[in-house]
Amino acid sequence: MLKKNSMIEITRGSLDTMTNQIKKSTDNEYDLYFGPAHPGSGNFSVKLRVEGEQIISARADPGYLHRGFEKLMEYRLPIQNAVLSDRICILESLNWNLAHAEAVDELMGIEVPPRAKYIRVLMAELSRIQSHIIWYGVLSIGLGFDTGFKMAFAYRDYILDLFELITGGRVYPAGYICPGGVRKDIPKGAKGRILKVLDKINEMIELEKLENPSLTSRTKGVGVLSIKDAIRLGATGPVLRASGMKTDVRRDDPYEIYDELDFEIPVRKEGDAYARYLIGIEEIKESIKILKQVLSRLPDGDFIDSSFRKPKLSAKMPIGDVYIRNEIARGEAGIYMVSNGGNSPYRCKIRGPSFLHMIPVLEYLLKGAQIADVPAIYWSLNICPADMDR
Amino acid sequence: MKMGILPQLLKNLFTKPMTVKFPHESIPIPDGYRGEHDYDMNKCISCGLCAKICPNRAIEMVEASKEYRKQYQKTYPKIDLGKCCFCRLCEDICPKDAIKLTKNFFLSTFDPSTVVKYPAPKNEV
Repeated sequence: MLKKNSMIEITRGSLDTMTNQIKKSTDNEYDLYFGPAHPGSGNFSVKLRVEGEQIISARADPGYLHRGFEKLMEYRLPIQNAVLSDRICILESLNWNLAHAEAVDELMGIEVPPRAKYIRVLMAELSRIQSHIIWYGVLSIGLGFDTGFKMAFAYRDYILDLFELITGGRVYPAGYICPGGVRKDIPKGAKGRILKVLDKINEMIELEKLENPSLTSRTKGVGVLSIKDAIRLGATGPVLRASGMKTDVRRDDPYEIYDELDFEIPVRKEGDAYARYLIGIEEIKESIKILKQVLSRLPDGDFIDSSFRKPKLSAKMPIGDVYIRNEIARGEAGIYMVSNGGNSPYRCKIRGPSFLHMIPVLEYLLKGAQIADVPAIYWSLNICPADMDR
Repeated sequence: MKMGILPQLLKNLFTKPMTVKFPHESIPIPDGYRGEHDYDMNKCISCGLCAKICPNRAIEMVEASKEYRKQYQKTYPKIDLGKCCFCRLCEDICPKDAIKLTKNFFLSTFDPSTVVKYPAPKNEV
């Protein structure tokens, strides 16, 4: 009885505070939904409490793109999960392929052949460039800089052509980076074509340097995230680097062949949307540098571990657990995989960088901002609703 | 207004567009493209591996239709292109190379009955 009464009191209490809040709010205050039907929000929604043009509070409303990968992976073989891992983030499927394949490799103790390691890094970096180009494109369209958007998506197509040549699909590589190596060797003419495409991407970077007042004027000083807040709210990757912390999993905890490669980690101190945009452009340049090194050193040999050349239906995973972290375009990706000795993982937890960027960081940055700054803040965080909802 | 964009503008006036007129011409499709399945019933040994590896369960082993049942008495893969994610695992696992993915990507249709590919000998299709 006692319990029941107290429950009622609690609900009554919360109801009172709610009614008080409603009474307090003036006529100027109203709710504004940014998404999911907004053209510039993706499959995501932010509920904004607005007074005039000022945002009082923001509440992220995720769940429009939930597909339940973590549960699905418990019912499938590792090679089928590799196909599934494309879809975690559509815009950088190869990076997620790599994270998944590494987790399985480490759990099963597979020695990946050196050529496969190089091809993996090659594809992951191409995917990173492609993802950063989309970032630039959507940030531009969010700010009304239409030319930037069209330019970005046109140049991205050159990389998609490469994906089509190497993996057989433009957007979905279908588990190209699979446990044991990669599913197919890169074709003969691919090296020259990649170098040509890299020249094109350099051309794009030169082009967008020319003139973009609509981009600079709307991003400078907007959505400033200090380094303290960035760490407190769990930002990773380009967002954290734009706030002034020199961190990159490729350097801090090298995987594949990143410890042999020479590249810089771009860092900026401003922490605003413009700094984040500049970090993206700098990272494209660094990725081009990495790709040129990889292409010049590409060794001969096997592209997949011989025992994985044909997909297997009965490859048992040894008992154990593993945590893998990778630097993907949006930040730090983690995969925690537990096996109890069966064919498929017992549990697979996916840690996507967008989750923390889209909920705590976004809510914090939107508080106190103007309505017109919402797209600038939203897209400058390099977010992906697919990666957040999983 | 800065004048840096002007040379680019003039250049773009005299260059070809980046896109192609799609239904009339198409960008070249590379050899490894993952498109529609090409299935050879004579090579198939009905092992059912393709149905087991398919991540989306788009392949089901069924009996051949009545007209071919005398000649082909085992079960053969029925491929549902609506479920298929074109991952090429069926091609990779097939021990007899009976399933292959072709370059055909013209798969959108208004007729739902054409989405499912029933097993039939190659020359009949």
